[in-house]
Amino acid sequence: MTTQLNKKALNGLFYSLLMIVLLFMASSIGFLFRMIGFPETNIVIVYLLAVLLTASRTKGYIYGILASVIATFAFNYFFTEPYYTFAVSDPSYIVTFIIMTITALITSTLTSHVKKSAVEAQEKEAETKALYMLTNHLTDAAEIHNIAGIAASIISTVMNCKAACLCFDENGLPEKTFVQQISPEKQIRRNVANTEDIKHQIEGLRTGYSIGTEFYDWLIYGRDNILGIIRIPTDKAIIMTEAQTRLLRAMIESIALAMDRFRSAEQRIKYREETVQERYRGNLLRAISHDLRTPLSGIMGTSEMLMDMSKQNDPRYKLAEEIHNDANWLHSLVENILSLTRLQEGRLTLNKQLEAVEEIVGGAVHHIIQRSPQHEIIIDIPDELLLVPMDAKLIEQVLINLLDNAIKHTPSGNEISIFVIKDDKTHCAVFTVADRGEGIAETDLPNIFQMFYTSHTKHADAQHGIGLGLAICDAIVKAHGGNIEAHNHSDGQGAKFIFTLPMEVTENE
Amino acid sequence: MSNLGEHILVVEDDTQIRNFICYSLHSEGYQYLTANTGQGAMNSLVSEQIDLMLLDLGLPDFDGIEVIKKVREWSEMPIIIVSARDQDKEKAAALDLGADDYLTKPFSATELLARIRVALRHLYKQGGNKQQTSIQVGNLKIELDKRLVFLNDTEIHTTPMEYSLLTLLFKNAGKVLTTGYIIKEIWGVGYGKDTQALRALMAGLRRKIEKSPAKPRYIMTEIGVGYRLVDE
Repeated sequence: MTTQLNKKALNGLFYSLLMIVLLFMASSIGFLFRMIGFPETNIVIVYLLAVLLTASRTKGYIYGILASVIATFAFNYFFTEPYYTFAVSDPSYIVTFIIMTITALITSTLTSHVKKSAVEAQEKEAETKALYMLTNHLTDAAEIHNIAGIAASIISTVMNCKAACLCFDENGLPEKTFVQQISPEKQIRRNVANTEDIKHQIEGLRTGYSIGTEFYDWLIYGRDNILGIIRIPTDKAIIMTEAQTRLLRAMIESIALAMDRFRSAEQRIKYREETVQERYRGNLLRAISHDLRTPLSGIMGTSEMLMDMSKQNDPRYKLAEEIHNDANWLHSLVENILSLTRLQEGRLTLNKQLEAVEEIVGGAVHHIIQRSPQHEIIIDIPDELLLVPMDAKLIEQVLINLLDNAIKHTPSGNEISIFVIKDDKTHCAVFTVADRGEGIAETDLPNIFQMFYTSHTKHADAQHGIGLGLAICDAIVKAHGGNIEAHNHSDGQGAKFIFTLPMEVTENE
Repeated sequence: MSNLGEHILVVEDDTQIRNFICYSLHSEGYQYLTANTGQGAMNSLVSEQIDLMLLDLGLPDFDGIEVIKKVREWSEMPIIIVSARDQDKEKAAALDLGADDYLTKPFSATELLARIRVALRHLYKQGGNKQQTSIQVGNLKIELDKRLVFLNDTEIHTTPMEYSLLTLLFKNAGKVLTTGYIIKEIWGVGYGKDTQALRALMAGLRRKIEKSPAKPRYIMTEIGVGYRLVDE
């Protein structure tokens, strides 16, 4: 701060001296003219010249105005009778004084104004040039750190300081390093002392920049979030003029635009790659599943045929039966994978229609009973007809998966029930599949709907299942705008799965 | 169960599934012919006496649906479709074109033979008594001339709509009827594809003839396809 004050004072001293010297010279010429015998009007002109020179050589209006007043008084003192007094014998001199003062004032202010305009024009030109240079370079940038480097370099040149630029990542968090221009040709990467600190500083920022110990940090605002910060060394930042601040802001705007453009291009490419990959993966999975189905049907039929050919106590019967069971399990896995890939490709595959709950439940139960006739399934649905918008095949699959799961974990003879109620408060149909089996381990409850999650409480081979069935239930129910939960019975053992389906047909479907 | 050695044409391109089907047919005493392409099927159909056809919808040369169309031009023989699980649309189209029933892969021999039995019985009924005055399935009986429905010999009151739905199902007992077909038969061609009214009508009818609508004894729901009146 002190250097700035000193500089101002020094400038003031210099301008005052200049003014005094010029006025002194004018006075000397005046004495010379009087000795030669030139008329006094010439002396007035010389003083005016001195005022003009003062105004053009100094900064601001003050010295010009001061010079005009002093010149009038000097003329009065030295060159009007009686000499060396401020008294005036001839009243016509008063008019001369007034006109002289006014002329001097106008001349000085005009000169100062012209000068000021010239300076402003120069600044503007520099500003435009700097901005042009910046945008010109920014268009060549191929990468976000490239932009940062260019920004640091150009700002350093324009501001004549060692500016730096710190990028933020996609999540709007500061990176660990930033680039700084340390000489016109050299940039270095420095570590950020404390990213938490920076995050903290910029939160709740109102002024557009934050003051640190080494740098003043100007934020680069993108469309959605903060893209980075421009760091101006503190010693430069405190002496920045209004014009420089303006220029800096304009440059930051350009940098923000460039970074934004880059980020959105990057995002676009990423999305495109993701969709392509997703589709590729989906197609592959579907092709595999599809090609697995036919041979699996063959294996199932043939093993059934073998069972048919052998007696029940024949060991070959048992072997064929095992082949059949495994093929059956593989087949349901393939079906699940198919459903899942189809669902993940988007909601478009949902074929929603108003369906009678009793038909869907009936269909699912019928399917299960055919496979496991030893289990008794209790059905409880409302007596009134309940029509719910849904994709019948998919919801049937949810019920089949849940019932299948219940059967797998319930010893035969224990109760398995399925009931549906209409919840008028939330306008949902609530489906519950409950069993009296072993229940769900507490550690499994939070993850039970995750894909490929299998219980860790058992041996890996104890039971088939790679945790797709429940993940599909989750995906299907969510695609319908519903919700699915798993609980253990509070009274006694067993698990229950509850899912809801909204009763209203949503507008967009 | 004895049978008359009916000739069954098996149209299936997968060797294993074809073998399995043929073995099952053989063990039940049916005669069978095989074809692994649509063209092969057509050749057999014109040159041989066929009583029933098992048709895979996914054939290597042309669509199974085309086979149904051509066969229905001259023959009313029962056609049972064999399809993959995600071919609902094709299934419905095939049923609407005149296929009688469908089997979804993978299916068991028991299932296959049961369907064949039902389809053949249907064939004989059609041929024999066109003038029947009453139809009975289980304990459910319709007296067509009096327009009355009896369950366990007690009369059940049905609305005219319910009655026409029930007779439609009875006349096609054992056969899968698509929702589209039923709507067209009961409400007429101009009604469109809205299934809601049919669901409601069916729910009402089931509450009158079934003990538990979710565990139907008579009218089974073929989810995503249609309904079937159980024939055994």
